[in-house]
Amino acid sequence: MNAVIQTLLIGIVVGALYSLVALGFGLIMGVMRFVNIAHGSFIIIGGYIAYWLFTLWGIDPYLSIPAVMLCMFGMGLLLYKLALAPLLKYPRAEMRIDKSLLITFGVTWILDNAVTLVWTPDTRSVITSYSGSTFDILGARLGFVGLTGLVIAILVAIALHLLLRKTYFGKHVRAATEDSGAASLSGVNVQRTYLISCGIAAALAGVAGVVIVSSYSIAPSGGLNWLLTAMVVIVLAGEGNIGHILPAGLILGVLQSMSTLVVSPAYQQPISLIVFILVLMFRPNGLFAGRG
Amino acid sequence: MLEISGIDVFHDDLQALWDVSMTIDDGQIVSLVGSNGAGKSTLMQAVAGTLRPKTGSIVFDGVRLDRLPAHKIVETGICMAPEGRRLFPRMSILENLEVGASVKKARRARQETLDWVHEVFPILRARSGQKAGTLSGGEQQMLAIGRALMSLPRLLLIDEMSLGLSPIAAQSISEVIRRVNASRMLAILLVEQDVQLALSLAHRGYVMENGRIVGQGPAAELLCSEEIKEAYLGFRKAQQ
Repeated sequence: MNAVIQTLLIGIVVGALYSLVALGFGLIMGVMRFVNIAHGSFIIIGGYIAYWLFTLWGIDPYLSIPAVMLCMFGMGLLLYKLALAPLLKYPRAEMRIDKSLLITFGVTWILDNAVTLVWTPDTRSVITSYSGSTFDILGARLGFVGLTGLVIAILVAIALHLLLRKTYFGKHVRAATEDSGAASLSGVNVQRTYLISCGIAAALAGVAGVVIVSSYSIAPSGGLNWLLTAMVVIVLAGEGNIGHILPAGLILGVLQSMSTLVVSPAYQQPISLIVFILVLMFRPNGLFAGRG
Repeated sequence: MLEISGIDVFHDDLQALWDVSMTIDDGQIVSLVGSNGAGKSTLMQAVAGTLRPKTGSIVFDGVRLDRLPAHKIVETGICMAPEGRRLFPRMSILENLEVGASVKKARRARQETLDWVHEVFPILRARSGQKAGTLSGGEQQMLAIGRALMSLPRLLLIDEMSLGLSPIAAQSISEVIRRVNASRMLAILLVEQDVQLALSLAHRGYVMENGRIVGQGPAAELLCSEEIKEAYLGFRKAQQ
Protein backbone atom coordinates (compact mmCIF):
# COMPACT_ATOMS: atom_id res chain seq x y z
CA MET A 1 0.00 0.00 0.00
CA ASN A 2 2.79 2.31 0.97
CA ALA A 3 4.52 1.65 -2.31
CA VAL A 4 1.33 2.50 -4.21
CA ILE A 5 0.94 5.86 -2.46
CA GLN A 6 4.63 6.57 -3.01
CA THR A 7 4.37 5.79 -6.72
CA LEU A 8 1.19 7.81 -7.03
CA LEU A 9 2.86 10.83 -5.44
CA ILE A 10 5.86 10.53 -7.73
CA GLY A 11 3.46 10.24 -10.66
CA ILE A 12 1.65 13.42 -9.66
CA VAL A 13 4.90 15.36 -9.26
CA VAL A 14 6.27 14.12 -12.57
CA GLY A 15 2.90 14.64 -14.26
CA ALA A 16 2.72 18.26 -13.10
CA LEU A 17 6.13 18.83 -14.63
CA TYR A 18 4.95 17.19 -17.87
CA SER A 19 2.04 19.59 -18.07
CA LEU A 20 4.34 22.54 -17.34
CA VAL A 21 6.57 21.37 -20.18
CA ALA A 22 3.56 21.11 -22.49
CA LEU A 23 1.84 24.43 -21.71
CA GLY A 24 3.98 26.65 -23.93
CA PHE A 25 4.10 24.11 -26.72
CA GLY A 26 0.33 23.75 -26.60
CA LEU A 27 -0.18 27.51 -26.60
CA ILE A 28 1.75 28.02 -29.85
CA MET A 29 0.19 24.98 -31.46
CA GLY A 30 -3.32 25.90 -30.40
CA VAL A 31 -3.20 29.58 -31.26
CA MET A 32 -1.08 29.65 -34.40
CA ARG A 33 -1.12 26.05 -35.65
CA PHE A 34 2.67 26.09 -35.51
CA VAL A 35 4.59 23.08 -34.27
CA ASN A 36 7.49 24.51 -32.32
CA ILE A 37 10.15 21.81 -32.29
CA ALA A 38 12.49 24.30 -30.61
CA HIS A 39 10.31 24.27 -27.48
CA GLY A 40 12.54 21.60 -25.92
CA SER A 41 15.63 23.70 -26.56
CA PHE A 42 13.90 26.69 -24.99
CA ILE A 43 13.28 24.63 -21.86
CA ILE A 44 16.94 23.67 -21.73
CA ILE A 45 18.09 27.27 -22.26
CA GLY A 46 15.77 28.42 -19.47
CA GLY A 47 17.40 25.81 -17.24
CA TYR A 48 20.90 27.00 -18.16
CA ILE A 49 20.03 30.61 -17.44
CA ALA A 50 18.87 29.59 -13.96
CA TYR A 51 22.04 27.52 -13.62
CA TRP A 52 24.15 30.55 -14.48
CA LEU A 53 22.29 32.87 -12.16
CA PHE A 54 22.83 30.32 -9.39
CA THR A 55 26.51 29.51 -9.97
CA LEU A 56 27.66 33.03 -10.91
CA TRP A 57 25.61 35.13 -8.51
CA GLY A 58 24.20 32.60 -6.10
CA ILE A 59 20.59 33.48 -6.92
CA ASP A 60 18.16 30.82 -5.73
CA PRO A 61 16.66 29.04 -8.77
CA TYR A 62 13.07 29.65 -7.67
CA LEU A 63 13.75 33.35 -7.13
CA SER A 64 15.35 33.54 -10.56
CA ILE A 65 12.10 32.50 -12.28
CA PRO A 66 11.00 36.07 -13.14
CA ALA A 67 14.39 36.87 -14.68
CA VAL A 68 14.42 33.62 -16.63
CA MET A 69 10.88 34.26 -17.86
CA LEU A 70 11.85 37.72 -19.03
CA CYS A 71 14.89 36.47 -20.99
CA MET A 72 12.88 33.67 -22.53
CA PHE A 73 10.02 36.04 -23.38
CA GLY A 74 12.52 38.02 -25.44
CA MET A 75 13.72 34.86 -27.14
CA GLY A 76 10.13 33.96 -27.94
CA LEU A 77 9.62 37.34 -29.62
CA LEU A 78 12.78 36.79 -31.66
CA LEU A 79 11.66 33.31 -32.69
CA TYR A 80 8.36 34.71 -33.88
CA LYS A 81 9.87 37.64 -35.76
CA LEU A 82 12.65 35.68 -37.44
CA ALA A 83 11.20 32.23 -38.02
CA LEU A 84 7.45 32.08 -37.61
CA ALA A 85 5.97 35.36 -38.84
CA PRO A 86 7.12 34.75 -42.44
CA LEU A 87 5.03 31.56 -42.43
CA LEU A 88 1.77 33.44 -41.95
CA LYS A 89 1.62 34.01 -45.68
CA TYR A 90 0.45 30.39 -45.94
CA PRO A 91 -3.23 30.68 -45.29
CA ARG A 92 -3.98 27.00 -44.72
CA ALA A 93 -3.25 25.42 -41.34
CA GLU A 94 -1.75 22.21 -42.76
CA MET A 95 0.87 24.20 -44.66
CA ARG A 96 1.76 26.12 -41.53
CA ILE A 97 2.18 22.92 -39.54
CA ASP A 98 4.73 21.22 -41.78
CA LYS A 99 6.62 24.41 -42.69
CA SER A 100 6.92 25.43 -39.04
CA LEU A 101 8.06 21.92 -38.19
CA LEU A 102 10.96 22.15 -40.62
CA ILE A 103 11.95 25.68 -39.68
CA THR A 104 11.87 25.14 -35.93
CA PHE A 105 13.76 21.88 -36.39
CA GLY A 106 16.53 23.99 -37.90
CA VAL A 107 16.24 26.45 -35.03
CA THR A 108 16.64 23.51 -32.62
CA TRP A 109 19.92 22.54 -34.27
CA ILE A 110 21.25 26.04 -34.04
CA LEU A 111 20.18 26.47 -30.42
CA ASP A 112 21.42 23.07 -29.25
CA ASN A 113 24.84 23.68 -30.78
CA ALA A 114 24.98 27.19 -29.42
CA VAL A 115 24.15 25.82 -25.97
CA THR A 116 26.94 23.26 -26.30
CA LEU A 117 29.37 26.05 -27.18
CA VAL A 118 28.39 28.21 -24.25
CA TRP A 119 27.83 25.65 -21.50
CA THR A 120 29.82 22.62 -22.82
CA PRO A 121 28.15 19.23 -23.31
CA ASP A 122 28.30 18.43 -19.57
CA THR A 123 25.18 17.59 -17.65
CA ARG A 124 24.33 20.35 -15.19
CA SER A 125 21.99 20.74 -12.28
CA VAL A 126 21.41 23.19 -9.47
CA ILE A 127 21.92 21.74 -6.02
CA THR A 128 20.80 23.96 -3.17
CA SER A 129 20.86 23.46 0.59
CA TYR A 130 17.27 22.21 0.53
CA SER A 131 17.66 19.92 -2.49
CA GLY A 132 17.76 16.76 -0.40
CA SER A 133 15.05 17.56 2.11
CA THR A 134 11.84 15.52 2.11
CA PHE A 135 8.40 15.48 3.69
CA ASP A 136 6.32 12.57 4.91
CA ILE A 137 2.85 12.45 3.43
CA LEU A 138 0.57 9.52 4.33
CA GLY A 139 3.64 7.44 5.06
CA ALA A 140 5.24 8.22 1.70
CA ARG A 141 8.19 10.52 1.13
CA LEU A 142 8.05 13.54 -1.12
CA GLY A 143 11.07 15.68 -1.98
CA PHE A 144 10.94 19.42 -1.36
CA VAL A 145 11.94 20.24 -4.94
CA GLY A 146 9.30 17.86 -6.26
CA LEU A 147 6.63 19.54 -4.18
CA THR A 148 7.79 22.99 -5.28
CA GLY A 149 7.68 21.87 -8.90
CA LEU A 150 4.12 20.65 -8.39
CA VAL A 151 3.04 23.94 -6.82
CA ILE A 152 4.73 25.97 -9.58
CA ALA A 153 3.11 23.88 -12.32
CA ILE A 154 -0.33 24.33 -10.81
CA LEU A 155 0.18 28.06 -10.26
CA VAL A 156 1.40 28.56 -13.81
CA ALA A 157 -1.53 26.57 -15.25
CA ILE A 158 -3.99 28.65 -13.20
CA ALA A 159 -2.28 31.91 -14.19
CA LEU A 160 -2.42 31.00 -17.86
CA HIS A 161 -6.05 29.97 -17.51
CA LEU A 162 -6.95 33.31 -15.89
CA LEU A 163 -4.95 35.22 -18.50
CA LEU A 164 -6.88 33.52 -21.31
CA ARG A 165 -10.29 33.81 -19.63
CA LYS A 166 -10.28 37.18 -17.94
CA THR A 167 -8.07 39.61 -19.84
CA TYR A 168 -8.64 41.36 -23.11
CA PHE A 169 -5.42 39.88 -24.43
CA GLY A 170 -6.60 36.39 -23.50
CA LYS A 171 -9.89 36.86 -25.30
CA HIS A 172 -7.99 38.06 -28.36
CA VAL A 173 -5.83 34.94 -28.20
CA ARG A 174 -8.87 32.70 -28.01
CA ALA A 175 -10.67 34.57 -30.78
CA ALA A 176 -7.58 34.30 -33.02
CA THR A 177 -7.39 30.60 -32.17
CA GLU A 178 -10.95 29.98 -33.29
CA ASP A 179 -11.03 32.15 -36.41
CA SER A 180 -8.12 34.50 -37.05
CA GLY A 181 -9.86 36.11 -40.02
CA ALA A 182 -12.98 36.95 -38.04
CA ALA A 183 -10.79 38.21 -35.19
CA SER A 184 -9.03 40.74 -37.39
CA LEU A 185 -12.38 41.81 -38.87
CA SER A 186 -13.44 42.52 -35.28
CA GLY A 187 -10.43 44.79 -34.79
CA VAL A 188 -8.01 42.34 -33.17
CA ASN A 189 -4.39 42.85 -34.17
CA VAL A 190 -3.80 39.17 -34.83
CA GLN A 191 -0.09 39.49 -35.60
CA ARG A 192 0.58 41.22 -32.30
CA THR A 193 -1.48 38.63 -30.46
CA TYR A 194 0.65 35.92 -32.08
CA LEU A 195 3.87 37.72 -31.21
CA ILE A 196 3.01 38.03 -27.53
CA SER A 197 1.67 34.46 -27.34
CA CYS A 198 5.01 33.31 -28.66
CA GLY A 199 6.82 35.28 -25.98
CA ILE A 200 4.58 33.84 -23.28
CA ALA A 201 5.10 30.30 -24.62
CA ALA A 202 8.87 30.73 -24.43
CA ALA A 203 8.60 32.20 -20.92
CA LEU A 204 6.61 29.12 -19.87
CA ALA A 205 9.36 26.94 -21.33
CA GLY A 206 11.77 28.91 -19.15
CA VAL A 207 9.78 28.11 -15.99
CA ALA A 208 9.80 24.42 -16.94
CA GLY A 209 13.57 24.66 -17.44
CA VAL A 210 14.06 26.07 -13.94
CA VAL A 211 12.01 23.27 -12.38
CA ILE A 212 13.93 20.66 -14.39
CA VAL A 213 17.38 22.03 -13.57
CA SER A 214 16.59 22.09 -9.87
CA SER A 215 14.88 18.71 -9.62
CA TYR A 216 16.63 16.76 -12.39
CA SER A 217 19.49 17.85 -14.61
CA ILE A 218 19.94 19.31 -18.06
CA ALA A 219 22.27 18.70 -20.98
CA PRO A 220 22.39 20.49 -24.35
CA SER A 221 20.76 17.62 -26.24
CA GLY A 222 18.06 16.94 -23.66
CA GLY A 223 15.45 19.18 -25.25
CA LEU A 224 14.05 16.68 -27.72
CA ASN A 225 13.08 14.28 -24.93
CA TRP A 226 11.04 16.94 -23.20
CA LEU A 227 9.55 17.95 -26.52
CA LEU A 228 8.38 14.38 -27.04
CA THR A 229 6.72 14.44 -23.64
CA ALA A 230 5.06 17.75 -24.49
CA MET A 231 3.67 16.23 -27.69
CA VAL A 232 2.20 13.25 -25.84
CA VAL A 233 0.53 15.56 -23.33
CA ILE A 234 -0.91 17.75 -26.10
CA VAL A 235 -2.36 14.73 -27.87
CA LEU A 236 -3.92 13.58 -24.60
CA ALA A 237 -5.33 17.03 -23.91
CA GLY A 238 -6.59 17.52 -27.46
CA GLU A 239 -5.18 20.20 -29.73
CA GLY A 240 -6.23 23.70 -28.79
CA ASN A 241 -7.52 22.68 -25.34
CA ILE A 242 -5.07 24.57 -23.17
CA GLY A 243 -7.30 24.11 -20.12
CA HIS A 244 -6.94 20.32 -20.39
CA ILE A 245 -3.14 20.26 -20.39
CA LEU A 246 -2.75 20.07 -16.60
CA PRO A 247 -5.05 17.04 -16.15
CA ALA A 248 -3.54 15.39 -19.24
CA GLY A 249 -0.01 15.82 -17.86
CA LEU A 250 -1.05 14.44 -14.48
CA ILE A 251 -2.70 11.41 -16.09
CA LEU A 252 0.42 10.69 -18.13
CA GLY A 253 2.71 11.08 -15.12
CA VAL A 254 0.60 8.83 -12.91
CA LEU A 255 0.23 6.21 -15.67
CA GLN A 256 3.99 6.10 -16.24
CA SER A 257 4.76 5.99 -12.58
CA MET A 258 2.16 3.33 -11.78
CA SER A 259 3.49 1.18 -14.60
CA THR A 260 6.70 0.71 -12.63
CA LEU A 261 4.70 -1.35 -10.13
CA VAL A 262 4.01 -3.87 -12.89
CA VAL A 263 6.89 -3.65 -15.37
CA SER A 264 10.47 -2.46 -15.25
CA PRO A 265 11.01 1.32 -14.92
CA ALA A 266 12.96 1.13 -18.16
CA TYR A 267 9.62 0.93 -20.02
CA GLN A 268 8.37 4.35 -18.89
CA GLN A 269 9.11 6.09 -22.19
CA PRO A 270 7.64 3.28 -24.33
CA ILE A 271 4.54 3.36 -22.17
CA SER A 272 3.98 7.06 -22.80
CA LEU A 273 4.45 6.44 -26.52
CA ILE A 274 1.96 3.56 -26.43
CA VAL A 275 -0.52 5.91 -24.75
CA PHE A 276 0.26 8.47 -27.47
CA ILE A 277 -0.55 5.98 -30.25
CA LEU A 278 -3.65 4.58 -28.54
CA VAL A 279 -5.07 8.06 -28.00
CA LEU A 280 -4.35 9.02 -31.62
CA MET A 281 -6.08 5.83 -32.78
CA PHE A 282 -9.15 5.90 -30.56
CA ARG A 283 -9.55 9.46 -29.25
CA PRO A 284 -7.87 11.62 -31.90
CA ASN A 285 -9.42 14.77 -30.44
CA GLY A 286 -8.00 14.10 -27.00
CA LEU A 287 -9.08 12.24 -23.87
CA PHE A 288 -11.59 14.90 -22.89
CA ALA A 289 -13.17 15.44 -26.32
CA GLY A 290 -16.93 15.78 -26.35
CA ARG A 291 -17.20 17.36 -22.92
CA GLY A 292 -17.35 20.81 -24.50
CA MET B 1 -18.14 59.33 -46.41
CA LEU B 2 -16.98 56.21 -48.24
CA GLU B 3 -15.61 56.72 -51.71
CA ILE B 4 -14.59 53.75 -53.80
CA SER B 5 -12.99 54.79 -57.06
CA GLY B 6 -12.18 52.48 -59.91
CA ILE B 7 -10.93 49.42 -58.06
CA ASP B 8 -9.82 46.19 -59.69
CA VAL B 9 -9.69 43.24 -57.29
CA PHE B 10 -8.23 39.80 -57.90
CA HIS B 11 -8.61 36.42 -56.24
CA ASP B 12 -5.05 35.23 -56.86
CA ASP B 13 -4.81 35.50 -60.66
CA LEU B 14 -8.52 35.65 -61.27
CA GLN B 15 -9.97 39.12 -61.66
CA ALA B 16 -13.20 39.49 -59.71
CA LEU B 17 -13.91 43.24 -59.88
CA TRP B 18 -13.42 45.58 -62.84
CA ASP B 19 -13.27 49.32 -62.31
CA VAL B 20 -15.82 49.42 -59.51
CA SER B 21 -16.80 52.79 -58.06
CA MET B 22 -19.30 53.50 -55.33
CA THR B 23 -20.22 56.27 -52.91
CA ILE B 24 -21.91 55.92 -49.54
CA ASP B 25 -23.10 59.06 -47.75
CA ASP B 26 -23.49 59.60 -44.01
CA GLY B 27 -26.36 57.70 -42.49
CA GLN B 28 -27.39 55.97 -45.70
CA ILE B 29 -28.37 52.35 -46.18
CA VAL B 30 -26.94 51.14 -49.47
CA SER B 31 -27.86 47.75 -50.89
CA LEU B 32 -25.70 45.83 -53.28
CA VAL B 33 -27.66 43.40 -55.43
CA GLY B 34 -26.70 40.98 -58.15
CA SER B 35 -26.61 37.29 -58.88
CA ASN B 36 -24.27 34.78 -57.25
CA GLY B 37 -20.65 35.33 -58.23
CA ALA B 38 -21.27 38.90 -59.39
CA GLY B 39 -18.59 40.14 -56.98
CA LYS B 40 -20.68 41.56 -54.13
CA SER B 41 -18.80 39.76 -51.39
CA THR B 42 -15.49 40.56 -53.06
CA LEU B 43 -16.34 44.25 -52.90
CA MET B 44 -17.24 43.94 -49.22
CA GLN B 45 -13.95 42.17 -48.52
CA ALA B 46 -12.01 44.87 -50.32
CA VAL B 47 -13.61 47.54 -48.12
CA ALA B 48 -13.06 45.50 -44.92
CA GLY B 49 -9.41 44.95 -45.83
CA THR B 50 -9.29 41.20 -46.32
CA LEU B 51 -8.62 41.66 -50.05
CA ARG B 52 -6.37 44.31 -51.58
CA PRO B 53 -7.44 46.16 -54.70
CA LYS B 54 -4.78 46.17 -57.40
CA THR B 55 -5.74 49.56 -58.76
CA GLY B 56 -8.01 52.37 -57.66
CA SER B 57 -8.61 53.64 -54.16
CA ILE B 58 -10.97 53.34 -51.21
CA VAL B 59 -11.20 56.45 -49.06
CA PHE B 60 -13.20 56.76 -45.84
CA ASP B 61 -13.49 60.26 -44.38
CA GLY B 62 -10.19 61.22 -45.97
CA VAL B 63 -8.33 58.06 -44.89
CA ARG B 64 -6.98 55.67 -47.55
CA LEU B 65 -8.22 52.20 -46.58
CA ASP B 66 -6.79 50.13 -49.39
CA ARG B 67 -3.36 49.84 -47.82
CA LEU B 68 -4.47 49.29 -44.22
CA PRO B 69 -4.69 45.87 -42.50
CA ALA B 70 -8.19 44.74 -41.52
CA HIS B 71 -7.93 45.60 -37.81
CA LYS B 72 -6.81 49.17 -38.61
CA ILE B 73 -9.84 49.58 -40.84
CA VAL B 74 -12.02 48.69 -37.86
CA GLU B 75 -10.29 51.52 -35.98
CA THR B 76 -11.30 54.02 -38.66
CA GLY B 77 -14.95 53.14 -38.04
CA ILE B 78 -15.89 50.40 -40.50
CA CYS B 79 -16.88 46.98 -39.29
CA MET B 80 -18.21 43.95 -41.14
CA ALA B 81 -20.60 41.20 -40.12
CA PRO B 82 -19.07 38.67 -42.51
CA GLU B 83 -20.73 36.08 -44.70
CA GLY B 84 -21.38 32.92 -42.73
CA ARG B 85 -21.35 34.93 -39.44
CA ARG B 86 -17.85 33.67 -38.51
CA LEU B 87 -18.54 33.74 -34.74
CA PHE B 88 -16.15 32.33 -32.16
CA PRO B 89 -18.19 29.20 -31.43
CA ARG B 90 -16.42 28.06 -28.28
CA MET B 91 -16.58 31.47 -26.64
CA SER B 92 -19.65 32.74 -24.84
CA ILE B 93 -22.00 35.28 -26.38
CA LEU B 94 -20.73 37.95 -24.01
CA GLU B 95 -17.12 37.15 -24.91
CA ASN B 96 -17.92 37.34 -28.61
CA LEU B 97 -19.34 40.81 -28.02
CA GLU B 98 -16.32 41.81 -25.93
CA VAL B 99 -13.94 40.81 -28.71
CA GLY B 100 -16.01 43.06 -30.96
CA ALA B 101 -15.02 46.00 -28.75
CA SER B 102 -11.29 45.50 -29.30
CA VAL B 103 -10.29 48.79 -30.83
CA LYS B 104 -9.29 51.58 -28.46
CA LYS B 105 -12.23 53.94 -28.65
CA ALA B 106 -14.69 51.04 -28.45
CA ARG B 107 -12.89 49.64 -25.41
CA ARG B 108 -13.44 52.85 -23.49
CA ALA B 109 -17.17 52.89 -24.17
CA ARG B 110 -17.59 49.14 -23.83
CA GLN B 111 -20.22 49.05 -21.08
CA GLU B 112 -22.52 51.62 -22.69
CA THR B 113 -22.19 49.96 -26.09
CA LEU B 114 -22.93 46.60 -24.53
CA ASP B 115 -26.10 47.98 -22.91
CA TRP B 116 -27.15 49.40 -26.24
CA VAL B 117 -26.50 46.15 -28.14
CA HIS B 118 -28.40 44.23 -25.44
CA GLU B 119 -31.28 46.64 -25.88
CA VAL B 120 -31.23 46.15 -29.66
CA PHE B 121 -30.98 42.35 -29.37
CA PRO B 122 -32.48 41.39 -25.98
CA ILE B 123 -31.83 37.71 -26.68
CA LEU B 124 -28.10 38.31 -26.48
CA ARG B 125 -28.50 39.49 -22.90
CA ALA B 126 -30.73 36.56 -21.95
CA ARG B 127 -28.22 34.03 -23.28
CA SER B 128 -25.07 35.92 -22.29
CA GLY B 129 -23.16 32.94 -20.89
CA GLN B 130 -24.13 30.46 -23.59
CA LYS B 131 -21.53 29.34 -26.16
CA ALA B 132 -21.99 31.06 -29.51
CA GLY B 133 -21.86 27.71 -31.32
CA THR B 134 -25.16 26.66 -29.75
CA LEU B 135 -27.24 29.51 -31.22
CA SER B 136 -29.78 29.17 -34.02
CA GLY B 137 -29.09 30.77 -37.41
CA GLY B 138 -31.09 33.90 -36.67
CA GLU B 139 -29.51 34.35 -33.25
CA GLN B 140 -26.06 33.85 -34.77
CA GLN B 141 -26.72 36.61 -37.26
CA MET B 142 -27.87 38.88 -34.43
CA LEU B 143 -24.67 38.11 -32.55
CA ALA B 144 -22.56 38.74 -35.67
CA ILE B 145 -24.22 42.13 -36.15
CA GLY B 146 -24.03 42.83 -32.41
CA ARG B 147 -20.33 42.02 -32.39
CA ALA B 148 -19.77 44.39 -35.28
CA LEU B 149 -21.77 47.13 -33.52
CA MET B 150 -19.55 46.73 -30.45
CA SER B 151 -16.70 48.37 -32.36
CA LEU B 152 -18.83 51.54 -32.64
CA PRO B 153 -18.67 51.72 -36.43
CA ARG B 154 -19.96 54.62 -38.48
CA LEU B 155 -20.28 52.30 -41.45
CA LEU B 156 -21.54 48.77 -40.93
CA LEU B 157 -21.04 46.16 -43.64
CA ILE B 158 -23.42 43.20 -43.61
CA ASP B 159 -22.64 40.39 -46.01
CA GLU B 160 -25.48 37.99 -46.88
CA MET B 161 -27.77 39.26 -44.18
CA SER B 162 -30.58 36.72 -44.49
CA LEU B 163 -28.80 33.73 -46.02
CA GLY B 164 -30.04 30.58 -44.31
CA LEU B 165 -32.49 32.41 -42.04
CA SER B 166 -36.21 31.85 -41.63
CA PRO B 167 -38.39 34.61 -43.13
CA ILE B 168 -39.37 35.71 -39.63
CA ALA B 169 -35.75 35.98 -38.49
CA ALA B 170 -34.86 37.88 -41.66
CA GLN B 171 -37.76 40.25 -41.01
CA SER B 172 -36.75 40.97 -37.42
CA ILE B 173 -33.15 41.60 -38.42
CA SER B 174 -34.24 44.03 -41.12
CA GLU B 175 -36.31 45.86 -38.50
CA VAL B 176 -33.23 46.20 -36.31
CA ILE B 177 -31.20 47.48 -39.25
CA ARG B 178 -33.77 50.16 -39.90
CA ARG B 179 -33.76 51.12 -36.24
CA VAL B 180 -30.00 51.40 -35.72
CA ASN B 181 -29.71 53.30 -38.97
CA ALA B 182 -32.33 55.81 -37.87
CA SER B 183 -31.34 56.14 -34.21
CA ARG B 184 -27.56 56.34 -34.62
CA MET B 185 -27.20 57.74 -38.14
CA LEU B 186 -25.23 54.58 -38.86
CA ALA B 187 -24.43 54.07 -42.53
CA ILE B 188 -24.93 50.50 -43.72
CA LEU B 189 -23.72 48.65 -46.80
CA LEU B 190 -25.84 45.59 -47.28
CA VAL B 191 -25.42 42.50 -49.43
CA GLU B 192 -28.69 40.63 -49.54
CA GLN B 193 -29.90 37.88 -51.85
CA ASP B 194 -33.56 38.85 -51.46
CA VAL B 195 -33.63 41.83 -53.82
CA GLN B 196 -37.08 42.94 -52.77
CA LEU B 197 -36.04 43.06 -49.10
CA ALA B 198 -32.66 44.62 -49.90
CA LEU B 199 -34.09 47.47 -51.92
CA SER B 200 -37.05 48.12 -49.61
CA LEU B 201 -34.59 48.63 -46.73
CA ALA B 202 -32.14 50.81 -48.59
CA HIS B 203 -31.92 54.44 -49.59
CA ARG B 204 -29.71 53.67 -52.57
CA GLY B 205 -28.97 50.57 -54.54
CA TYR B 206 -26.15 49.31 -56.74
CA VAL B 207 -26.54 46.45 -59.20
CA MET B 208 -23.54 44.26 -59.96
CA GLU B 209 -23.01 41.82 -62.78
CA ASN B 210 -19.85 39.90 -63.67
CA GLY B 211 -17.67 42.04 -61.43
CA ARG B 212 -18.93 45.37 -62.70
CA ILE B 213 -21.44 47.92 -61.45
CA VAL B 214 -24.17 47.94 -64.10
CA GLY B 215 -26.78 50.10 -62.43
CA GLN B 216 -27.36 52.42 -59.51
CA GLY B 217 -29.87 54.86 -58.16
CA PRO B 218 -32.36 55.52 -55.40
CA ALA B 219 -33.60 52.17 -54.11
CA ALA B 220 -37.26 52.97 -54.75
CA GLU B 221 -36.52 53.71 -58.42
CA LEU B 222 -34.47 50.54 -58.86
CA LEU B 223 -37.28 48.53 -57.34
CA CYS B 224 -39.63 49.79 -60.04
CA SER B 225 -37.21 49.48 -62.97
CA GLU B 226 -38.07 46.94 -65.62
CA GLU B 227 -34.56 45.42 -65.72
CA ILE B 228 -34.48 44.71 -62.02
CA LYS B 229 -37.98 43.31 -62.02
CA GLU B 230 -37.14 41.02 -64.88
CA ALA B 231 -33.71 39.90 -63.75
CA TYR B 232 -34.19 39.49 -60.02
CA LEU B 233 -37.81 39.67 -59.03
CA GLY B 234 -39.21 37.11 -61.44
CA PHE B 235 -41.52 39.48 -63.30
CA ARG B 236 -41.93 39.01 -67.04
CA LYS B 237 -41.83 42.01 -69.32
CA ALA B 238 -45.41 43.04 -70.13
CA GLN B 239 -46.56 41.75 -73.49
CA GLN B 240 -46.39 44.44 -76.10
